[in-house]
Amino acid sequence: MDLKKVRQDFPILEPRDRKQAITYFDNACQSLRPRAVLDAINAYYLQSSACSGRSMHRLADEVTRSCDQARVAVANFLNASRKEEIVFTRNTTEGINLVANSLDWQKDDVVLVSDKEHNSNLLPWQSLRQKRGVILKIVPSQRDNSFDLAAYENLLDRKVRLVSLAGTSNLDGVSIPAREIIRMAHQNGSLVLLDAAQTAPRAGIDVRALEVDFLALSGHKILGPSGTGVLYGKYGLLEQLEPFLVGGGTVFSTTYDSSEFLPPPDKFEAGLQDYAGIIGLGAAVKYLESIGFAAIQKQDLLLNQFITDQLKDIPRLRLIGPDDPQQRGGIFSFYLPGVDSHRIALMLDQMAGIMVRSGQHCVHSWFNAHKIEGSVRASLYFYNTLEEAELFVDSLHKISRVL
Amino acid sequence: MFCILAFMVLGLLGIFSASSRTLAKEALDCVLRRVTLRPCTTGFDERMKSRILGSVINRSETAARALNKNFELLSWVFFLLIFGSSLFAIRGMYLFYVTGSCNGLNQSAFCVLDPKGQSNEVSAVSTTCNLKSPGLTNVTLKGVDLSGFPVLHPGAMHKIVMIGCYACDYSRKVYPEIRDLANRSGAEFTFADYPVKVKTDLTTRLGLCVHQQDQTKYWKLNDILFATDKANLDSPAFVQKAIADLGLDSSKINRCLDSSATEDRVDKQLNEIANSNFYGTPTIFIDNTVFVGPKPYRVYAISMQGLLYWLH
Repeated sequence: MDLKKVRQDFPILEPRDRKQAITYFDNACQSLRPRAVLDAINAYYLQSSACSGRSMHRLADEVTRSCDQARVAVANFLNASRKEEIVFTRNTTEGINLVANSLDWQKDDVVLVSDKEHNSNLLPWQSLRQKRGVILKIVPSQRDNSFDLAAYENLLDRKVRLVSLAGTSNLDGVSIPAREIIRMAHQNGSLVLLDAAQTAPRAGIDVRALEVDFLALSGHKILGPSGTGVLYGKYGLLEQLEPFLVGGGTVFSTTYDSSEFLPPPDKFEAGLQDYAGIIGLGAAVKYLESIGFAAIQKQDLLLNQFITDQLKDIPRLRLIGPDDPQQRGGIFSFYLPGVDSHRIALMLDQMAGIMVRSGQHCVHSWFNAHKIEGSVRASLYFYNTLEEAELFVDSLHKISRVL
Repeated sequence: MFCILAFMVLGLLGIFSASSRTLAKEALDCVLRRVTLRPCTTGFDERMKSRILGSVINRSETAARALNKNFELLSWVFFLLIFGSSLFAIRGMYLFYVTGSCNGLNQSAFCVLDPKGQSNEVSAVSTTCNLKSPGLTNVTLKGVDLSGFPVLHPGAMHKIVMIGCYACDYSRKVYPEIRDLANRSGAEFTFADYPVKVKTDLTTRLGLCVHQQDQTKYWKLNDILFATDKANLDSPAFVQKAIADLGLDSSKINRCLDSSATEDRVDKQLNEIANSNFYGTPTIFIDNTVFVGPKPYRVYAISMQGLLYWLH
């Protein structure tokens, strides 16, 4: 990967004067966008701004084809069996909520989640517990925050209807042994929903190889436009799901008393969609594939290894997750006891234009359980450089000496 | 304490900058919460502190460490400094309003509201005039016999005495205001011409002679002399025309002008004025207060009628 050339694809990374220069280490929140994605979005608004799948005119036809191509691109990206297994959503949250609200839940069905799920993969199940009497069980992590297969196995019983886990944690970057988890769940007769919001940007996902039942991801974390997402579902399962949001574009026909829904994915995509976003997402996955996940993982590891090595001499620094950066992907999450994480983040920005996330990263439950007020999360991506990592390390050393 | 400090600083900056105004609103919210014993939930204080530390740390880690350690203390210090300087600023504005100078009446130190010190400028009396410059504290009308000088509204409660000079810019600037004040307030107004510019002797003698002949016309003449071009003041032709225009007996006036008795009286009056120890024109006495230099009208009016002078 020619890093210099790659960075030129990202307009926001164009060289600026020192005061305006940014080091973007908040990629777990959302990634930056390459010009290819911006051009695709612009092309929709400038050249073919129309409805998809409804009107018959040329512009509409063009949009319909572009959206269909995007769906094919995403299906290929995930190695789905067919493009109809791809449902466009607004984000991972919506994908998870779609499953949560569409499965035919029975009272006392059990949902298993881990103890460090993003609120997106916790609140829908808490809500279901109240509304439908579903039981929510938490799989505790090991001491180093890695997934505890034994604990999982212990909780996996016949009542477990769904296992819903983050493939990669946004808290510490640790990935779960998804293949093994899915195999065990299926043996138990349980469905598996993977929250791939943090996995998709860093690892090639093969839904067929994984045999995962549902998988949700966000477009804005894989170079795509904000407010775009995907829910993958095995076609047979999607057919069984009741649509949870209904309206225009989801039906063949209606009478005053009844409606005949379209097959997936249309029955889940109610109302006018974010066509520019969908087309941009198609461009994003193609761009990501052109970079290649091997190169992405190599760069993540290079930077995370450097940061980990350089910061281990700060005695006060508490790392969240395993010591080995290889297990943390592109995430370096830490806190200094007694120091407000927001203060560190603000200072990094003020000092050196370094953008990191601070706080509880929508994993309040984990922080509350561990009685930690918050952490600073530097999340790296393939367009970040070693110079940026050095700047981060130097700045953090300064901060640790001052605070 | 930092919220209050930030509110004060940002409030001032907010006069000029919209972004500071937004921050000032946040600071105010923080202040209101603090005074009602609630925590500041906007994170404003933390955000500002972090920004400040982030800026300082790039220049000096030691300074940043000290700042971080003593942030609350420094906030108090700066608060007290700003509070103190705000009080001084308010005092300065009050003094400027009341005396024409931020530093008090007749004080010529720098004042941002009157950066050129215009309200304290005087046409200085030259050393050839046998006058010392004794300083403001000795300027007084005590022991000065003003009985021979022209007086408007004699016997009024308030008394204005102006030592001015027809040819001096600052006297010319302030004369209409004093005249206006005397007219509006009905105060007793005594005018003493002291020709700082020696060439205007003629007008001093003229004033004396006209006053002897017709006191009402003297004030008209005075208005003319302050209003006319300075070049006219030592011109006999202008003087003759003024006499004629006022309908005065020119031969009588001319005789008076040439008389040695007039010269003696002029000398006597000048010496009498000099006894006041004034050191430049205009010097104005309103009741017992001395005003040196051309102050704004309000300063004289306030001295006589109080802060709400415009209600009178």
